[in-house]
Amino acid sequence: MKQDDTISRRTILKGAALVGGVSMLTGCERASSLLTERMGEVIPDSVAESTSKQIDPAFHLLSRAGYGPWPGDLEHVKSIGTIAWINEQLDPDKIDDNAANFRASRFETIHLDGGTCFEYKKEVLFNEVARQSLIRSIYSKRQLLQVMVEFWSDHFNIDMSKGNCAYFKGSDDRTVIRKYALGNFRDLLKASAVSPAMLTYLDGNENKKSRPADIPNENYARELMELHTLGVHGGYTQQDVSEVARCLTGWRIQDKWQRGKVYFAPELHDDGEKEVLGHRIAAGGKEKDLDSVLDIVCAHPSTAKHLSEKLVRRFVAENPPSGLVASAASEFTRTNGDIKSVVRHILTSAEFAGAAGMKIKRPFQFIVSSLRAVGADTYAHNDVVDYLKSMGQCPFQYPTPDGYPDESAPWMAALLWRWNFALALTNNQIPSVKVDTRKLVTALGANDSAHPMAHPSDQHALAHASVQHPPDQHPSDQHPSDQHALAQHLMPHFLGRKGTRLELEALSPSAPAIISAPCLIGLILSSPAFQRC
Amino acid sequence: MAKTSRRDFLRQLAFAPKKSADRADVLVCVFLRGGADTLNMLIPTSDDLYYSTRPTLAIPAPGKGKKAAESGLKLDDFYALHPRMAPLLDLYHGGKLAFIQGVGSDNPSGSHFEAQDQMEHGLAYGQKVGGGWLGRFLQQANGQQHSPLCAVCIGPSVPESLRGAPSASALRTVDDIQLHATLKEQSVITAALAKLYGADTTLLNRSGLDTLDLVNKLHDLRLVKYQPAGGADYPKGDFGNGLREIARLIKANVGLRVACLDIGGWDTHFFQGTAQGIQAENIDVLSKGLAAFQTDLGTDPGKVCTLVMTEFGRRTYENSSLGTDHGKAFAMIAMGSHIRGGAVYGAYPGLKQQETDVLGPSGLKIETDYRSVFSEILESMDSGHHERVFPQFQSTRIGFVNSSRTS
Repeated sequence: MKQDDTISRRTILKGAALVGGVSMLTGCERASSLLTERMGEVIPDSVAESTSKQIDPAFHLLSRAGYGPWPGDLEHVKSIGTIAWINEQLDPDKIDDNAANFRASRFETIHLDGGTCFEYKKEVLFNEVARQSLIRSIYSKRQLLQVMVEFWSDHFNIDMSKGNCAYFKGSDDRTVIRKYALGNFRDLLKASAVSPAMLTYLDGNENKKSRPADIPNENYARELMELHTLGVHGGYTQQDVSEVARCLTGWRIQDKWQRGKVYFAPELHDDGEKEVLGHRIAAGGKEKDLDSVLDIVCAHPSTAKHLSEKLVRRFVAENPPSGLVASAASEFTRTNGDIKSVVRHILTSAEFAGAAGMKIKRPFQFIVSSLRAVGADTYAHNDVVDYLKSMGQCPFQYPTPDGYPDESAPWMAALLWRWNFALALTNNQIPSVKVDTRKLVTALGANDSAHPMAHPSDQHALAHASVQHPPDQHPSDQHPSDQHALAQHLMPHFLGRKGTRLELEALSPSAPAIISAPCLIGLILSSPAFQRC
Repeated sequence: MAKTSRRDFLRQLAFAPKKSADRADVLVCVFLRGGADTLNMLIPTSDDLYYSTRPTLAIPAPGKGKKAAESGLKLDDFYALHPRMAPLLDLYHGGKLAFIQGVGSDNPSGSHFEAQDQMEHGLAYGQKVGGGWLGRFLQQANGQQHSPLCAVCIGPSVPESLRGAPSASALRTVDDIQLHATLKEQSVITAALAKLYGADTTLLNRSGLDTLDLVNKLHDLRLVKYQPAGGADYPKGDFGNGLREIARLIKANVGLRVACLDIGGWDTHFFQGTAQGIQAENIDVLSKGLAAFQTDLGTDPGKVCTLVMTEFGRRTYENSSLGTDHGKAFAMIAMGSHIRGGAVYGAYPGLKQQETDVLGPSGLKIETDYRSVFSEILESMDSGHHERVFPQFQSTRIGFVNSSRTS
């Protein structure tokens, strides 16, 4: 192929690397994939898709309460109904998730306590927890749980690059975020408050009053109210911040014997009387002061409103409709902070139903939904994580405690990385990801006979295709109307609706500008419609 | 499809100027995220209270440290620099670098996000005006056609200050900006994306078209390996790399007007350190980076101003975990060939008379609203528009920009 451009040369080098077997699915991974295929992680032989001009409600639900449909998911939701699917998802323990668990089981450190993690290099810890997050989001059948895990991971943000946080995030993810993601908010908050990751990240571990002159460290006390519960204008004062900081003095993490274990040191605690948000906390409460504070902030009406607003923003719209925020807040108060009830309330609301296609995906959701839509086989190695980094959303690496933004504007500058990811994905150029676009196209019922070269069904074929075929031998025996027909066939699977005339025109250029089916799918994934959900 | 036709095609879609006019002034904003303790950077060596309230954290006056490397570096009879700011000393005495002391905003919350947000939006507390201060500036700057590269952030996402800019891109390096496909595919893909994004009616419309134009513009730039001028030695890591990329964009003349770059890690509640330690390492990277950047720009005729800011200073006294908590006023750094350097502007507020909150002293008193600093820079870049950038704000002239060089 004639190359007068560094881009293409780089592409070729990638292809060459693949032939050399530098980084493909390993033998062990291939064996695992065979097993998970038997557990149902496959592209079905036939996949039905939306026939409507509007986004299918089941597609909408899968795109917001999950990471978009895996081939075949749409039929499942349509057959049992959206309400039944929501109820199924809200009871995640009853959903068999062995295949996803099996894929994620290769990461050792996510099962360990913080103390044991000190035996590992930080890079390993960063890597495993991020990869686990990707793997579970792509493959878990407990999709709503995963979405809530992402939500709470932002809400109770931990930046693993701060201090010792890297050692503690794995257990924070397992014993705080995952454990209570659909539980009761008060339990989640308590677990987070005494999590070594949070005590490290927001300096709670440094907050003490052992001498009269000691000035408490206010960092966690402030974020507890500003970010985790009441919200910045939730009605607390600097005096409240200072009083909460006093209440929370004395919580420590063991750093030698039983390293990483959290304990309360009475001698470092300010045991005087405090007043928090108008409530008196009597002297002598010791470690119970923490519970008193959490009871006060959880019961505060600003907390119900703040959390409801954030949940509605995540599930419904960037500018949360105030009526739904108010009713969700009532539900939060009525159920004493039962997260399931609030989520059910939001997902079954009219506002939710009317919001299809109005949100813009964040990079993590874009990447995971792309991988799901094509039914990819991956163990999410660094090549995938690197795309997330370039788009600015590597899990657990957001520096400030407010978590990755849930607005679309901050993510708009990274569209090029999305396009590059989509094109590399569908052309099988991400070494640790395997995509069978031929099978997908066939399952979607599109006539594929005009694409003799279009489906590099394995890595070798791709490398050969890239390296050995000069442009004049590129498959161009296809009629433009074939490409139009193919685009028409493929679009509903990715967008939940039929392609518009304009979209079809854009994707069906006149000869000789015909592109391969993988490239066409890459373009659909790059289109504005797929950036939305 | 030939390269030229692809480029021509993209040009038809782009709203960018086709010819590169004479280079406009450039503003580089470095944001020290977390509330930097500038009292340990621009050290008030003649204020005894500084030493008595910071028994472990104070930086010794010049010649007073146990080792030479632990003492401050003399600026004048009152101020000294943190020892790790040595790379900036020549720039200061050479008249290219100035400090503005006692700067701050009226934000009372003590929250990083609120204070950063308010500052990036360029507003008074509670004031609501759309867009960031740099975004509004670029929108209103004198009838210029904007390049898609008029505003760049080297980092993962575009900061609030650039909100509302005609275009703003976040990138890691100039080399990143390319579409990974073969040439033949590229032409088809870019044409299809231009149609799809051109017809979109959301935020994606402008972002998509800007991105396509960016790809086109940087095609030529990345074919040349960048060689910093004057032996400039950028520190390793994101900050040094970021400044190098900014210098590269400035010299490439692609229409850059504003560049933003962050350094995090200034929230030193705990174990801040002195000549060594957490803050010292940050100061080291900052100083080496700024010095290399100025060397690299060298005698380049264009006007480039670098402004270093943070959301608030820290309390004047240290806390029990050998750190400092959130405070009020801070010192800003301004650097550039048209900065009246070699001086510390703004009166020293003194540690006695402090801002207070319910707990008592909460940090250095604010003498200069941060918007006065911003206004003076913007005025030198493009006069007569700061009223619309900072509505209802009467700025006070500080005099740190050499207005005789203003066009």
